[in-house]
Amino acid sequence: MQSSAHTADGTANVPRLAEHFASLEVQNHAARLGMWLFLATEILLFAGLFVCYGCYRFLFPEAWAAGSRSLDLTMGTVNTIVLITSSLTAALAVHYAKEGKNKMVGVMFALTLVMAVGFLVIKYFEYAHKFHIGTLPGRYYFYEGMQMPGITLYFTVYFCSTALHALHVIIGMTVLAVAMVRAFKKKDFGPNNYTMVELGSMYWHLVDLVWIFLFPMLYLV
Amino acid sequence: MAIANESHQEEKNMHAHHGAGRYWLIWGVLLVLTVVTVVTGRMHLPSFGLLLALVIATVKGTLVTLYFMHLAEHRGANRIVFGVSIVFVVLMLIIPLADFGTRFRGANPPGSQYSDLQPPDIGTGAQRGRFGGGLRPHQTKDTPETPEPGHH
Repeated sequence: MQSSAHTADGTANVPRLAEHFASLEVQNHAARLGMWLFLATEILLFAGLFVCYGCYRFLFPEAWAAGSRSLDLTMGTVNTIVLITSSLTAALAVHYAKEGKNKMVGVMFALTLVMAVGFLVIKYFEYAHKFHIGTLPGRYYFYEGMQMPGITLYFTVYFCSTALHALHVIIGMTVLAVAMVRAFKKKDFGPNNYTMVELGSMYWHLVDLVWIFLFPMLYLV
Repeated sequence: MAIANESHQEEKNMHAHHGAGRYWLIWGVLLVLTVVTVVTGRMHLPSFGLLLALVIATVKGTLVTLYFMHLAEHRGANRIVFGVSIVFVVLMLIIPLADFGTRFRGANPPGSQYSDLQPPDIGTGAQRGRFGGGLRPHQTKDTPETPEPGHH
């Protein structure tokens, strides 16, 4: 099925084929399909928060405008660039995994993890500032610079969506860290065995995808 | 067997190896679009600002799913799963918004754009009594009472 040019990698590193699959490619296909199903549920999870955002923005447009202008656009933009770049390195890890370059897979995932930590650190500074001035959700809001109906709802949506996103960043980091350790230690990724790298990287792209929508929604408009 | 053919096709596509250059290209496009959305966002365009930002985000998201997540190389089932989830996201957005948009004014939350009623005092400001669940009550001693319009 696979080209014989890869036998050095290919024969040694073929993953175990479960009995109920006709062949390895069917097994890989099933793994991908399962991942897409899982990502679909993740998209719908975030969509619930997008609906809250849409409805309350519709009802309280002034609060939404004031709230988004009170955020630090520079930090948000830097975070967007950091996350997009980390997505690039995650995609490159899949590229190198297919070529069997395990060291590069590990390096790419390490870079991704460094950027993920950077993202969380910037997010921490943004959160700390909000806790300091009091732009907090619901009844915990105590910022006097902005007092208008619906402003607390903006920060409820802000904190719910960014915190859920940050949780996904942490989960994604765990998955990528496991793949990174395997690439460095077991060194068994190759043209026939890169499902783990591919699916882990897909999860990371989902985290990026959600942020691509959250960033303009929260910071820009 | 259709399923086996689909798997085979997907496997072939995933193996049709292309250089890493494509990922760098997509990355560059994503960065350019980020700059575009920040610049246009800062202009605070009156009516179509949100629409423009969402269109740019959708283009970026499409690039990520098609090329970073390899949906361009995947076959039927994966695309259907992803497409259906997007359809449901759109439905989930349209239905509640259509509800809010067509309501009798009195049924909208008080204080909102589509209501004539005053907002309820939920005690948000530091001057308003509940101090946000007890956070920083000491600050009010130094600052003079500032009456809110319409609230006494």
